[in-house]
This record gives sequence, structure tokens and C-alpha cells, in this order.
Amino acid sequence: MRIAWFTPLSRTSSIGRFSVAVTASLSRLAYVDLCYFDSQDIRESRVTARRFSSAASITADVWNGYDIVVYNLGNYLPFHREIYLLSRRWPGVCILHDFVMHHFFADYYFNYLHDSNAYSLLMQHTYGFQAPVGERAWETAEVVHYPLFEEAARGALGIITHSEFFKRRVQECFAGPVARIPLACDAVTRSTEGSRSEPSKTKLGVAADQLLILTVGHVNRNKQIESALDALAQIRSDLGSFIYAIVGPVSADYERELKSAAREKGLGDVVRFLGQVSDEVLFAYLSAADVCINLRFPITEGASGSLVEQMAFGKPVIVNDVGCFSELPDECVIKVPANSDGRVARALRRLANDAPDRIAMGARAKAFAQTEFHPDRYARQFMEFMWEVQSAKPILSLSDRVGVELGRMGAHADARILDVIAREINEIFVEKPSHTDASHR
Amino acid sequence: MKIGILISTVPFVRGGAEILIRALHAKLREYGHQALLVRIPFRWEPPQKILEHMLACRLLRMPGVARVVALNFPAFYVPHEDKIVWMLHQFRPAYDLWKTPYQGLSDSPEGQEVRDFIVRADNSYLAEASRIFANSEVTSARLKHFNGFDSDVLHPPLPYDHQFSCIEYGDFIFAPGNINEAERQLLLVQSMTHCRSGVKLLLAGKSESEANSDAIKVAISKGRLEDRVTFLDRFISEEEKVDWFGRALACAYIPYDEDSYGYVTLESLLSKKALITCNDSGGIRELVKDKVTGRVVDASPRALAEAMDGLYYDRAEARQMGEAGYGLVKTLDINWDHVVRVLTA
Amino acid sequence: MRIILATTATPFVAGGSTQIVEWLHRQLEIHGHDVELFQLPVSEAYGEILDQLLAMRLLDLTQHGDRLIAVRSPSHLLRHPNKVAWFIHHYRSAYDLWGTRYQTLPDTPEGLAYRSAIVQSDNVGLQECVRLFCNSGVVRDRLMKFNNAPAEVLYPPLLDPGQFRCGVYGDYLLYIGRLTHHKRQWLAIEALRYTRTPVKLIIAGCPDPGAEPYVFDLQHLVAKYGLEHRVSILSRWISEHEKVELFANCAAAVYLPFDEDSYGYPSLEAHAARKPVLTTIDAGGTNELIVNGYNGLVTPADPELLANAMDSLYKDKDLARRMGEAGEQRIHDLGINWDAVITRLLA
Repeated sequence: MRIAWFTPLSRTSSIGRFSVAVTASLSRLAYVDLCYFDSQDIRESRVTARRFSSAASITADVWNGYDIVVYNLGNYLPFHREIYLLSRRWPGVCILHDFVMHHFFADYYFNYLHDSNAYSLLMQHTYGFQAPVGERAWETAEVVHYPLFEEAARGALGIITHSEFFKRRVQECFAGPVARIPLACDAVTRSTEGSRSEPSKTKLGVAADQLLILTVGHVNRNKQIESALDALAQIRSDLGSFIYAIVGPVSADYERELKSAAREKGLGDVVRFLGQVSDEVLFAYLSAADVCINLRFPITEGASGSLVEQMAFGKPVIVNDVGCFSELPDECVIKVPANSDGRVARALRRLANDAPDRIAMGARAKAFAQTEFHPDRYARQFMEFMWEVQSAKPILSLSDRVGVELGRMGAHADARILDVIAREINEIFVEKPSHTDASHR
Repeated sequence: MKIGILISTVPFVRGGAEILIRALHAKLREYGHQALLVRIPFRWEPPQKILEHMLACRLLRMPGVARVVALNFPAFYVPHEDKIVWMLHQFRPAYDLWKTPYQGLSDSPEGQEVRDFIVRADNSYLAEASRIFANSEVTSARLKHFNGFDSDVLHPPLPYDHQFSCIEYGDFIFAPGNINEAERQLLLVQSMTHCRSGVKLLLAGKSESEANSDAIKVAISKGRLEDRVTFLDRFISEEEKVDWFGRALACAYIPYDEDSYGYVTLESLLSKKALITCNDSGGIRELVKDKVTGRVVDASPRALAEAMDGLYYDRAEARQMGEAGYGLVKTLDINWDHVVRVLTA
Repeated sequence: MRIILATTATPFVAGGSTQIVEWLHRQLEIHGHDVELFQLPVSEAYGEILDQLLAMRLLDLTQHGDRLIAVRSPSHLLRHPNKVAWFIHHYRSAYDLWGTRYQTLPDTPEGLAYRSAIVQSDNVGLQECVRLFCNSGVVRDRLMKFNNAPAEVLYPPLLDPGQFRCGVYGDYLLYIGRLTHHKRQWLAIEALRYTRTPVKLIIAGCPDPGAEPYVFDLQHLVAKYGLEHRVSILSRWISEHEKVELFANCAAAVYLPFDEDSYGYPSLEAHAARKPVLTTIDAGGTNELIVNGYNGLVTPADPELLANAMDSLYKDKDLARRMGEAGEQRIHDLGINWDAVITRLLA
């Protein structure tokens, strides 16, 4: 099978890192080309990488050279715009990394197409006439009720999500095959190397007996850093010496805000903001960390890449009991309800003061991650899903073509004729289990 | 050129369109093209069925065909990269018959919904055509008015090659064609009671209902018109028809609101005979201009009688109008040469 | 009766079913019925096939006609309360050609899914038929094997057997048929090479599109064996009149296709001219018509064995005549006539 795997490949894209890891494993099972549009700071790939200038530049003889095309889609327009545009022309399998795709579409319609009317129509078409169109929903917590992933999924031959909750949501609006495959990362294969190196704390300016608490990822409000700071402030006196490192890009304004909050809570000297770091530095922190805090509320991702890394490195992680995090085994992570820094504080105290406990939990997390998040596993499950996608393609693409024509005739999503045709297609093309002699073979 | 001719048709209903497309098929082949006639089943009741047939047409394929010529709804929905529409008529219940007593599509919410589908779909798929023609000014005007599309008028020629000619200007008005209520032959008979000249009337064609033919017979006897009106309630042969056209003083053709001019009109003009028609006859008026190529009068017995008497009294005018009508057909290029050339350009 | 006759055709490709439909149409009218013919276009490309099958289900003929006779696939998917199919052949790539080099569906889960969908749709359409007929035992067996659909064989007759006549049992064998490799005109030439009598061979018919190289090969073969004086190749359309004359004076007809679904019309034409048919044991549908020693000779597809048969037909005019006359009886025994066909189709 020949696969075209479209992904962002900039070094600052975690999806790019994911793609490099997975395609490396996938290349043992199929012929894979990693395809990208980025123009600078490109991550190295372990399979053949093909660069294209734009979605429009890709012609039929390109896609005739592949059996399946894969689109990695996320909520950030600069990384995913051309990929999305190509997915409109050339149906393929979409990997939906983010549950909330609203920011992507708002950016797309307002800042790229300059067509606010089209944005309004999209919202109404997807969520009905009561959908909020004038109110910049993407800047509020309400955005999780209008995620707009539905639009990214439309017309796909198959959808891959990384969590069960997201898979269920996709199945509500998408008639084709949907698979949930646990998110993979290369940390699973690389983490073993890290642990054999020298105790890395000192290299990071952390004393050997200092507890290193770590949070990784783009620093946004839903990462609940304030909540973590509150929790730390509450138990400061119960903890020994510790450092709380926050690794990941953060806007200057928000960083100022958080630093100010830390100082107010008396944590100014123990909280470090490291910003964007290289892979080596990130891995050093991950190796050296004792505890990870990975809170999310509300959930906007389909799954958490940072969590996967942290578990792969064998760290105990405190997470919110929501979304993809709820789906993890209880013995591998500590789940606390959202918006309860009291519970975060208790979890932190427990982990901080009971080294065997936290080391054991970390080991369980690592064992789980080794199988669950291994790129080889992702590749295998992906290939199994491709079988399902290919089998579904004849009827799915027929249904899509019919949908396009009925759409041209003005049929809305709930028009009666759609049901009539769907029933017709099912009756003549789908084999029914039969108890009579009339069934063949 | 490999050409497909597409038409939607209700089974066992054989109308004028059938005759035209078979003639088109034969003519294209005569001119050296390979032509394929594709008749697509159509059903329009209940209204939901219309949508299903619209979709069915979108799902058909025409491989190995260089061009398609589609003649009606929803045949012109069939996808093809070189599609010519020669519109004979749209789905009139959704357009000019909508919300009239003749509508054929109820204006209930369901009917309204189906109508909306038809209009949107027509607009969408007409846009795919490389060229749009209409068979008459009326059809072309409707297409522009309801759907916003421009079209050139391409007049359908006679579907056969009989030689029409003018033999003489006799003493009878010739009214051929199927005898039915829409064509109002009864009105012609009633008009004869008001005629003062010796003009005669020949009704030549098979009546489609006993009730109608009875009414005509009653009108003839009541008006004591037995020696002035001949009612041949039978199919006539082509030879007879050509001969009567050739010998008539003039012709009468007064259907109600026809889409296009009809073959009778062409036959009359090619025989150099003036045509009497009515204000409300519709497409016939495209070729019949009052006192130029015929008479266009109110659909009333007195008005029709006056027209018939007028031609009887003034043979010269009858001849002049007949010649003008013949000239008009020539000027408008109503012939197969033109049609084939235009459709295969 | 008001009858809807429905069939499909690939635009501008004259196939075997075009004649059946045309002749059936004419015969139904001769028998006094009002016939409405719908010949719908169809593309064989698998990427488009499901769309067209769906179209067949949406076109609604259920309110019209006393009976619907569906001939070429997929017209049997049309709905009608009184539907009869005279089934000619399947979408073969999904059936007997699956797994062979002639399979056009891809060898992938997608191809399997197409195949499954096509077979399922056939099952639905065939089950709705109040009666199911087919044109040969070969097709009947396939319908049973793949669709579990019992069908009755209804052999297609010639339109007008009466136009043929018997002149003399002359000095040539006649191979009428499309010039294409699987008809194996080349085998007839190979066989002629081994004959010991001066029997001649006339090969006549239109080359299939793209079969010009095949015609060159035949001519080359003739030259190679020095048979120029004994073999004529008429690579063109043969008019009805010419055909009648050619059959009238041949010793016998030759027809050697490989594994065809049904007998070809040339065998019926031969019998109409009271001539026997020489064929092979692997000809397919023709083997249902020709019984060795009765109305023709059937040999293995071996040039030398065929040559023996050719010589017999040349030397023994009585044999040729007896078998040719038996042909008429054979046609009668198999019910190959329009009265029988129409009676069954309208029963």
C-alpha cells in the first residue's frame, strides 16, 4: 500500500514529531511518504519527505501515485491550512488531533478568506440557528460546545481519533469508519536511553534532593497553571525543597501574569518559566522530573502528547478526570476533578512525601506507555484501520457523491430524501445475514 | 461526432417530443454522425418521486460520448463535460403553472419544498451546459425569467421530409391535428354559424374522446352546417394531409396556450397558407403575426368567423400572407441543416 | 399487453445483447403487444458502477406496463411488480473473472467491497423477478452458483431463419463471426494445414476494435502454411444477403470460440441453411446446441483432430446433409423459436 502522510513538519509542531515517529514504524508495513508544506526549520524525517508549495499545486498524477492519503489536522491554522485545503479536494483519512477546531476555522474564515458570512453559515449549518455567530466564541469557555471538528471530518474516507470520547463524538456526525488509536510518541523508544545517563538534575540547576515538578506544553489558560500554583502554595510548608518548572511557549503577557501570581503566592523563587526549548532540553527535564502536573480544563485536544511523553518517561502524573485523561488506567496516573486545587494539593503532598509510591506509579505508567503509546502499535492499528477504510470506500464515496448532488439541489442535512437514499443504498449494497435459502453461498 | 440525445419520458406517453427526437436522431446519422437516443423513465407523482428521478439522472454515465444534447427536465441533469441543452420545455408545474389551476404540483408545504429543489437544481445543472437553446421564444423567455439563463432560439423543423407545396387557394379552411378540447375544434365549428361567406371548414383528424366528437357533431347539425363543415373523425394519411394543405384557402389552428408553434403551423406556412390562430394560443404567435402571415384574433366565434370570411373575400390577401409566412420560415432557418450544424458545432 | 422492455448498453458499442433486444422488440410487436423500449446507457468502470446501480433503483417504472422484461444487466435492478429477466451475463469482473487475469476490480479490500456490493445488488434485483430466464446453461449455472438464483434457459432465436436457404454442400467451410482472438479463427487455419482433402475455408466477419493485429496474424498464418489458395479472409461487415449466399453453399459451418457463454448466432444461421456445425469440446454455450454426430461434429481443440473432421465433411456430403437437416430438429427440440420465447416471457 502506498500512503501519502500529510503533516506539519516544523520543529515547533508536536504533531510533526508524532508523524516522524509513526511514519518510521509505518514504513515497515507500507510504502510511506511524509508530505509537508512548511518552509523553514524542518524536522528531520526517517522516511522520504516530499515538500509541496501549496495544496493547489498538487495534481492528479501525484495522488494517482498513492492508495491512501492521510491528513493530520490540528487547531492551528498556520500549520494545517494547506493540509485542510488539500483534504477538500482529495478525500483521505483524517487524523483529528484536536477536539476543538474552532480557532482553526475562525482564523481560516476571518483572517484568510475574509468571509465572516461563510463562518456564520458554517456555525448555523453545524449547530443550528441558535449557534452564536457574532460573539467570538473561540475566546470563551463556550467554545467546547461548538468545537467545529465536524467540518474537518466532512467528506473524509475515515477518521482517526486518539481518545474514546472523541471517537464517540465523531460517530455522531460521521457515517464512515472511525478508529480510536492511542496517541504514540517517540519518547517511548527514546526514554530508555535517557534514564541511563547521569543524574540530570544538576545539569538543570536543580539540587539532587530537590523535588522537580514539571508541566510541559503550550502555556494556555486551560492548562490550569494557576490551579497548580494555588495547590503548591497550599502545601508549601509540607513539601521539602522543590522547583516547579513550566516548559513550553508562553506569551509575554501571560507569563508576566503567571509570574506575578506566583510571587503573590510566595512561590516566586521556586517557579521557573523555560519557554520553548530544544528536544534535548525537554528530554532532560522529563528524565529528571519527579512529578508531572498535566491539568486540562476545558478539554480542547483529542489526546495529550505531553502526557504520553511523561508516562513514557515513567513519571507519576496528576491529571484532571476529563476527556482522554479519564480513559487512562487509575493505577497509572492520579486523576483529580477539574477546578479543585485542594485535590491537586493532596495529590502533590502524597507524591512528594512518598518516594517509593511515586516511583512505583511512574514504573506502572512507563510499562503502560511502552505498549499503549508505542509507534509500532500505532502503525499496526493504523494498517488494520486502512483495511476497514478501503472496504468502506466504495459505498462511502457513493454516499458522498449523492450528498454533494443533493446539496446542490438545496437539501439540508435533515431532508427526508437523504434518508430515503441512505436506506436504498443499504438495501441493495449491504449484505444482510439471512436465514433463508435465498442467501448466496 | 458521437452524440447522445437525452430525453426524460413517461412510459407509453408518446408526444410531439418523441417524434422530434427520433427525427433528430435520424438526421444526425444522415449527416454522418453517430447518434444514440437515450430515453430516461420519469415519474412525477407523488412529488417525492421527482427528486428521486432528478438524482437518478445525476447518477447516469455516458462513456465514450463526445457530446450530449438534452431536451427536457430532468434529462439535462445527466453529467457530461460537453452538454448542450435544447430545452423543449421545463417542468412547467414548478414554473409558469405553479399556483394556477393547472399546476400539477400542489402548493402545500411538501409541494413547495419540491418546487424549491427543482428550481435550485435546475439553476445548478443548467450552469453546466456549454450552450443552451430553447425551441421557442416562449420557452426562452421563461428560462430567462425563472432561472436567469440566456438561450438562443433553435426552432424544431418538421420531423419528416414530406414536400409541402401550394397547389391552389381553394374555398375551405383546413384544420388538421388531433381533435381534442385543448385544440378547440368545437370553437371553430361554432364560428362557422357566424360566417356570411361561402367559406368551408375541413376538420381532419381522429377525435380523442367520444364526448368531444359528439359535441362537434351536435354543433354541426344544430348549426345546419352539414354542407359547409366536413368532420373526418379518423387518422389521415400523410399524402392526404399534404394535399389538403396544398389546396386550402388557409388553415386554422387555435389550441390553448401552447409552448411552441407546433408542426401544423410549420406545415401551413410551408404550404404558403395563412394561419388563423387566437390571442391565447401561445407559441403559434411566434410565427403567425396578425395580417402579416395570418390572423390572430380573440377566441370567440364571431372574431374567428370574421377572420375566415375575410380571407374568403380577399384571395389576394390570403395569398400574400401565405407567401409572407413561407418567407418567414426560410428567414428563420427552420430546417435540419441549420439544427444539425448548430448542435454539432 | 403493455410491455416495458428494459436493457442497457455501453454507448456506441454493439454487443451481443443489442440484437436480442432488437429482435425481441420486433417479435413482441408482431405478436400484437404494445412495447415501450428503454435502453439505458451504462459505463463498466468499477468506480462508476455503484452510482449506476443506484440509479436503476430510483427510476420508477412500477406504475406502467403489464410486465417489465429486463435483458442486459443491470436492468434487472429496475423495480416492477411484474418483472421478468432474460439474463444474458453478469458484471463478470465480480463473478467468474474474479481471480483471473481479466479481473478489472482491484485486488484490495476496496475491490472486495465493490464485488460484494455488486453481488448483493444482483441478488436483490434477481429475487424480485417473478420469473428468471437466461440465455444458456452456462449462465444458468453461474446464476445458481453465485446468486443462488434458479433460472430457466430460454435460447435466443434468429429473427428470421426463413431468409436462409440451402444450395449445395460445396467445397468450403464457413467461419462467420467477429474477428478476435478468443473466437480462435487461427485454430481453423492451423487445422486446415493438416487436412488431406482440398477443402477450403472462408473466414468472414468484422474485426473487434483494436483487433487489427489479430487479422494480420491470421493472414500471416495463411501465408506461412502456403494456404493462400484455400483460405479467404473477409475482414469486414458481411451483409445479410452475402451471409445467406455464403451459408447456402458451404459444406458446413465452423465455430471454435473458447468457452463462450452462449452459442453464437452463426450456428443457428448454419442450421437455418441446413448445414452442420464443426466445433470443439471447450466452446462453451455452443456445446449445448451441437451434439457430436447428430447436428455437427465436436472434437477436442486439436488441429489434427479438427482436420479429420473437416475432411469428413468435405468427403461425405451425405453426412453433412443428414447432420444439417438434424439441425432443424435440434432447434425445434430446444424450443429455439420466438413463439416459445414470447410465451415463456409473458406467462
